[in-house]
Amino acid sequence: MNKEHFLEKLKESDIRSVARLITLIENEDSLAESILKDIWKKTGKSYIIGITGPPGAGKSTIVDSLAKFLVEKGKSVAILAVDPTSPFSGGAVLGDRLRMSEAQSSGIFIRSVASRGHLGGLAATTRLLINAVELLGNDFTIVETVGAGQGDVEIVQISDTTIVVEVPGLGDEVQAQKAGILEIGDILVVNKSDRPGSDRLARELQMMISLGEEKDWKTPIISTTATTSEGIDNLWKEIETHQKYLGNEIFETKRLEKLKYELENQISQKLFTKKIIEIGDNEITKTSKAILHRKIDPFTAVDNIIKE
Amino acid sequence: MASKGKIRVLIAKPGLDGHDRGAKVIARALRDSGMEVIYTGLRQTPEDIVEAAIQEDVHFIGLSILSGAHTHIFPRVIDLLKERDAEDIKIIAGGIIPDEEIPKWNEMGIEAIFGPGSSTKDIIKYIHGKNIE
Repeated sequence: MNKEHFLEKLKESDIRSVARLITLIENEDSLAESILKDIWKKTGKSYIIGITGPPGAGKSTIVDSLAKFLVEKGKSVAILAVDPTSPFSGGAVLGDRLRMSEAQSSGIFIRSVASRGHLGGLAATTRLLINAVELLGNDFTIVETVGAGQGDVEIVQISDTTIVVEVPGLGDEVQAQKAGILEIGDILVVNKSDRPGSDRLARELQMMISLGEEKDWKTPIISTTATTSEGIDNLWKEIETHQKYLGNEIFETKRLEKLKYELENQISQKLFTKKIIEIGDNEITKTSKAILHRKIDPFTAVDNIIKE
Repeated sequence: MASKGKIRVLIAKPGLDGHDRGAKVIARALRDSGMEVIYTGLRQTPEDIVEAAIQEDVHFIGLSILSGAHTHIFPRVIDLLKERDAEDIKIIAGGIIPDEEIPKWNEMGIEAIFGPGSSTKDIIKYIHGKNIE
């Protein structure tokens, strides 16, 4: 592929080229890194909305309604929808588009992303994928996580506003007290609000929030029925309010914090890979055997290796 | 990493027939052979399918049609891919396609047609054989 031509196309926001770049990033292709270096200054301009919640809570349907709502308001939107990769075959069925028919017919860019073994609810490359998508010049990037468990909180590291979707019938009020995914929501959504138990869930979530420490941002709870787009206007109002609350100052501080975290990760990844190659498989096997046969403890072994 | 260069396949169900068991079986089989399968569901227009294939940057589009609507849908998908300069995306098809028509479709750009009774193994073998990257 001719890199100059590719860059030219990317600068024209050519959909095919952006889609290609996403693939290159996903494949950790060295061309992706070289392209990202060149277009870096053009990225970072979209407002990032993260949506997470348990499997089947209606995340995709909410994304669909919200995206359509935004387009009708004259905003441009792109969607990244992450689904899990099978740990056995390495393959994946990515089915989020199935629920995004409105967004599809509105011409919104949707990309289904496989998690490719990464834990935490996203793919390892998600942040860079957002940067690629931003070449389309979109106002908003909506990122949907895999059906999340209680510990899948990585979405908060990439989004400006994080929305956690819950549904009635998944557990009692003690579930709401547990740490993890519920804590990361800037906005909590009770979806399928036409179902019995949804009022109670909303009350329990309210209770959980009121028991927590006082914060400047009061997490709102919105009831939606995504299949009929009910409550989506309210959800948007709260996103807007949160965006205003962040303003320039908190927005920038939050993004800076995330970048620091990311940078540390990148550095440790690179150092890690370098060191592992340096040490070599033989040494690792030898030391592991020594630990297995109790000739050395793992702590000393690690210290020894790092000192070498 | 082993994640390098996954084969991506869009499985689409154009037209009005609502029988997507076959499409789902294929999606699952391809997944189990390590591919990333984007499943788009029922009643997709050729425009939707081609747009999705481009956004998803797939290597293959798999069309499942049982209703006879393929005579309209196949040429449309082929044309749209040409219009979008995306002829490198290969089309394969399954469903009810009369045997005598198959050579004609192959010539027009449907790379392979897997009718009733086809084994998922053959489809996987075919895709792995085609995809060189």
